[in-house]
Amino acid sequence: MKYIFYVFSFLCSFSAQAQEDDLFDVFEEEKPRELVYATFKATQLINASTNETPGKGVLQFIMAHRFGSFNDDYLYNFFGLDNAQVRMQLDYGITNRLNLGMGRSSFLKIADGFVKYQLLKQHTGAKSVPVSITLHSSTNYRNSRYTDGIDHAISDRFSYMHQIIIARKWNRKLSTLVSPSLVHFNMVPTSQDPNTSAHITLGARYKISNRTALTGEGTLLSNRKFANGEQWTNPFALGVDIETGGHVFQLHIANTRAMNGPYWMARNPYSAISGGLFLGFNVSRVFTVSE
Amino acid sequence: MKILLSIITIASCLSLSGQQYLTRQGTLTFDAGSPLEDIRATSNSATAVYDAEDGKLGVQVLMTSFKFRRALMQEHFNENYVESEVYPKAVFKGLYKGNKAIGTLSIHGVSKDVIVPAELLKEGNTVCLKASFALSIEDFGVGIPKAVASKIDPKAKISVDCKLQAR
Repeated sequence: MKYIFYVFSFLCSFSAQAQEDDLFDVFEEEKPRELVYATFKATQLINASTNETPGKGVLQFIMAHRFGSFNDDYLYNFFGLDNAQVRMQLDYGITNRLNLGMGRSSFLKIADGFVKYQLLKQHTGAKSVPVSITLHSSTNYRNSRYTDGIDHAISDRFSYMHQIIIARKWNRKLSTLVSPSLVHFNMVPTSQDPNTSAHITLGARYKISNRTALTGEGTLLSNRKFANGEQWTNPFALGVDIETGGHVFQLHIANTRAMNGPYWMARNPYSAISGGLFLGFNVSRVFTVSE
Repeated sequence: MKILLSIITIASCLSLSGQQYLTRQGTLTFDAGSPLEDIRATSNSATAVYDAEDGKLGVQVLMTSFKFRRALMQEHFNENYVESEVYPKAVFKGLYKGNKAIGTLSIHGVSKDVIVPAELLKEGNTVCLKASFALSIEDFGVGIPKAVASKIDPKAKISVDCKLQAR
């Protein structure tokens, strides 16, 4: 009898245990669909655009500098500071997906306008989406005077860039992007040269702490040479992202100097091997204008 | 005798199931704001479960379900503070006893025994759970950089408002 009682009490305690597990089991059933946030820290990786856009009602200001090259009287020009190129950008998040912006660069006095739209956002859980896809187009107008003595039409000054940015956050540290792009210049040196060139940008960031990350990007191009002998190199850049509240500081070294898509992608004359390297930075600041 | 036994078994099963209450749409708000910065967030998808028989009470919320007014603040909350990808949820498991919730609260990989004032009201088939209390952010290993320390209240105010249905 005693024995049966023990077995019984054991079973009771077991069932009580099982019951306790049951109650909190509801916590484990949840695997909801979740948005993958912060694939990249900023809307730009270095020169390349990321899939990110500012949130709705957020005004972003970006100040970018590209200093002079190492092979151009580096110390005389105070580490290249004296001939820095500047670009300022102002853009706004119309919705959480749509972003409009404009910029002005001292490089060829280019003014630009762009539109960016987050077509697809990476999600985990049920109905997961493996990648984020963002569409990005820019129109660029060269204000700089031509020195070739030809009377250029206004349309000659325009160039365009259209790209699809495919990004994926692999884990909390590593994110990558692949951006096939088309660049179109209304004017090229000779009639044998293509106006449109194809490009593919590969980029990555690796977080080394909660607020800092290493970044890198490189771009392949379809047309490296013009009939008149002009040659273009593959642009690349390496950098570090430092985030402090509403700011992101991006410091980098690159073999490009222009800050507008068509120019740094398709018209990069500098070669890193012969010292064509430039220090630069982007600083972004966001302001929540409407909530 | 056999029939009686089975009736008792079935009845006890029924009564047991009638004593548990659950919601997956509970409201949980978080406020760590200061006069300098408004830092508030609400989640409307907290899970709460209560067993009226033995008083067991559990509340869970996914960190990413907290909605802030500013997208960037929400991103920073998840990315830099609570590290949602490593510690995706906050969980309370314990008991409701005499207007108090007593148990273990786990946030950001840190578990702490807590006793907080809470209110459970039974109305027919629903149970209303209400609680509000403050938590020290530091206690849960969430670091606040010095540069923003003046903007963040180190004691975050949490309030819970859940309507649990019998299940």
